[in-house]
Amino acid sequence: MTAVAASPFRVLRPRGIWGFIVRRVLLGILTLFLVSLIIFVATQALPSDPARAFLGRNATPESLAALREQLHLNDSASSQYVTWLKGILTGDLGHSLTGTQQPVSDVIGKRVENSAFLMLLAGLISVPLSIALGAVAARRRDGPFDHATSIVTLALAALPEFVVGIALVVFFATNVFHWLPAVSLIPPDEHPWDNMEALILPTTALVLAVCPYIARIMRASMVEVLESDYVEMARLKGLPEGKVLWRHAVPNGIAPAIQVIALNLAYLAGGIVVVEFVFAYPGIGGGFVEAVANRDFPTVQALALIIAAVYVFLNVAADVATILVSPRLRTSIS
Amino acid sequence: MSDEPFLERGLSRDELLKRAAVGGAAILSSGALAGTADAALRASAPKRGGTFRIGVSGGSAKDFIDGQNIVTRPDQARIVTGWETLLVFDSQFKLKFDGLAEEISAKTADVWTIRVKPGIEFHNGKTLSADDIIYSLRRLIDPRLKLFGGAALSSIDPKRIRKIDKRTVRLFLKRKDVTILDALGQYVAGIVPVGYSPGAIGQAKPNIGTGPYKLKSFTPGQQSVHVRNPNYWRSGQPYFDQVVIIDFPDDTARVNALLSGQVDAITDVPPAQVAVVNGHSGLKVLESPSAAWTPIIMRVDAAPFNDVRVRQAMRLIANRPQMVAQALSGHGKIGNDLYAPFDEAYARDLPQRHQDIDKAKSLLKAAGQSNLTVDLQSTNGALGMNEGAQVFAQQAKAAGVTINVKILDSGAFYGDQYLKWPFSTDFWGSRNYLSQVAAGSLPTSPYNESHWPDSADAKFLALYRQALATVSKTKRTQILHDMQTMEYNNGGYLVWGFSTLLDGYSSKVQGVKQGDKGVLPFNAFGHGYRTIWFG
Repeated sequence: MTAVAASPFRVLRPRGIWGFIVRRVLLGILTLFLVSLIIFVATQALPSDPARAFLGRNATPESLAALREQLHLNDSASSQYVTWLKGILTGDLGHSLTGTQQPVSDVIGKRVENSAFLMLLAGLISVPLSIALGAVAARRRDGPFDHATSIVTLALAALPEFVVGIALVVFFATNVFHWLPAVSLIPPDEHPWDNMEALILPTTALVLAVCPYIARIMRASMVEVLESDYVEMARLKGLPEGKVLWRHAVPNGIAPAIQVIALNLAYLAGGIVVVEFVFAYPGIGGGFVEAVANRDFPTVQALALIIAAVYVFLNVAADVATILVSPRLRTSIS
Repeated sequence: MSDEPFLERGLSRDELLKRAAVGGAAILSSGALAGTADAALRASAPKRGGTFRIGVSGGSAKDFIDGQNIVTRPDQARIVTGWETLLVFDSQFKLKFDGLAEEISAKTADVWTIRVKPGIEFHNGKTLSADDIIYSLRRLIDPRLKLFGGAALSSIDPKRIRKIDKRTVRLFLKRKDVTILDALGQYVAGIVPVGYSPGAIGQAKPNIGTGPYKLKSFTPGQQSVHVRNPNYWRSGQPYFDQVVIIDFPDDTARVNALLSGQVDAITDVPPAQVAVVNGHSGLKVLESPSAAWTPIIMRVDAAPFNDVRVRQAMRLIANRPQMVAQALSGHGKIGNDLYAPFDEAYARDLPQRHQDIDKAKSLLKAAGQSNLTVDLQSTNGALGMNEGAQVFAQQAKAAGVTINVKILDSGAFYGDQYLKWPFSTDFWGSRNYLSQVAAGSLPTSPYNESHWPDSADAKFLALYRQALATVSKTKRTQILHDMQTMEYNNGGYLVWGFSTLLDGYSSKVQGVKQGDKGVLPFNAFGHGYRTIWFG
């Protein structure tokens, strides 16, 4: 039809939704490369020498030299980076600098599983819940339900997560009722889904931390959508209110909320250190802080990369989802 | 029993040496002691069974299990499950023959003969023998390993340990040393089998000792599981089927775990939570006086503290009762700039220092250091370190001294600059005087933060060597008194108080004794979790 169609470069620039997805994914991978570079440079710039940090009080000149050799610290920075990157791509995240120098994947494997499951659970509960809350609050704008949710979500957004967590513990575990465990003791050889009771309070704390933001932006967006022409048209056509809300309004109002959802889910992946501490939950937030305190650079780099990967993935997914729910944008990208 | 009076007094190291000085006499053997102790326990009918879960403070991915070494609290909790020492310190901090040794005798203070009890087995069934003792002692003092208990055993000559028979070894020390028994009684001086090397732990070489529990699983930074040793040599013990030791770096989580019943005991209850734990029905707090101290340290060879008047002034600035009340919430005793309060030779007669701001100011003026400004480095290594530093900084303002407290994270504090800070804090456990001197007050000590003694002063070192060789208790007490007087007048330590160990436990745990003098928390973890049971 045009010169573009006949061009031999057509395959390099696929059109339509798939093209968009492919381009976004490639950009995401490029972002990850840049992030890995930044992480590597940052750990190199740290004042502590990893060999000395590991040996601590036991550092003698011979043992330092031997360890530096073993950790490739005498190579140039760029060759160290390449070695590290090659390892990442083949699944070898290096060896931890603590104690028995186990592979980093062993050290953090369980923690990643625990955190992933908690994030999944909190996400599956909070996202539908807060979307529904926001939609209903907008529908009943200025009514008692709207005012109540507005106050509650504002209060929850203002409270730090660990305060919410401690309040839950005090109420349900230690002082008022003794229904639930105060601490999420998941034995290192068990899976988080085998210990669902231990997950109730941490999940609740996270849901309460994340819902307010999504609910509020959903409400704001929905208020605008409910005033629009097509909603009025749907009502005039005689559709029941429920159908108007859920089939017509929400899919259009959800676009801004998607970005917020992605940000909050990414926060659940890497930012819940304090909640993990309150519940002694063995996740990657606590693991990350500990690795930094121990100057365990391979673990720090691996965890930083994993958290960055989750962020990038969620943002790509959010971009794609936004396009999918906005038919207007779909046509503009080809 | 005619031996009863000895049992009550506890045969101290000095009586032991007195008997030795009389001429190669065999020392009181352990048989009678062990029998009576066991009988006392059986009287209250302990029951078998159950899984004991204890939450200990601290811990991280750096946790390890080594029968002869510790660094943190969880390491202490784990070492006592599986490893034992030749002698033990009892509830009044006196040495007792309640360990692996049957008899220890000394012809002179530099030749010691040790015989172990018969029939003691390691976790793999191998019988404890003289070869294991020799290997254990050599490993403890191996300079490459830098094990915690090694410093106090520096007088052992690894090349001159002779095997006399299957159960007996003879040590020919480098010099006369009366502190050798204290050193062998430290909980870190565990006896391990020949070839022991935790670095080579795996299926073929499990991490074994002679203790009441065998190691089943261990995840550093999270938890370890230990199962009952069915062939344990003390018949009847231990009582639990399993012990689970869980790391809790966060204070709140640890206390909450106890409050909601997820663990049966915890160590290191924060002083502010003592009332909370006591207020919960079914929970109790165990308070054990200890000789653990968190001093403020001044380097005697760094300005401005190289002027002894400045050091003396700092010690006079401290309002010790206020520091104990605020830094330890009252759970402790004030100190007098001397350590080792459990030692019989502790210099009680030296007058207790009190705050004297005027004298402090005049001393500083004479030294030309009025309106001194100085940095104080600290970290959260133990209760009392940061808190004591901050209270002291406030008190110093009254004397015109500005102290900038710098709280570092432990990686930075214990990094390159450790032992070089001119002004810092640190923490120490309970020890007798000469053992503590070996660990922290000699030029050869591994952890001499204050760089005491002054290089020009050879007297302290000479007194130390003399004390090691002096068998007579009265003479030695006099020497120790002289050493302590030197430190009292000119030393670099500001010892403002001693903490009380605070542990919380469920009332279904029986066998817990209140008021024991403690080195390790919770009655030394129930003496390796073997003198406690579920009632």
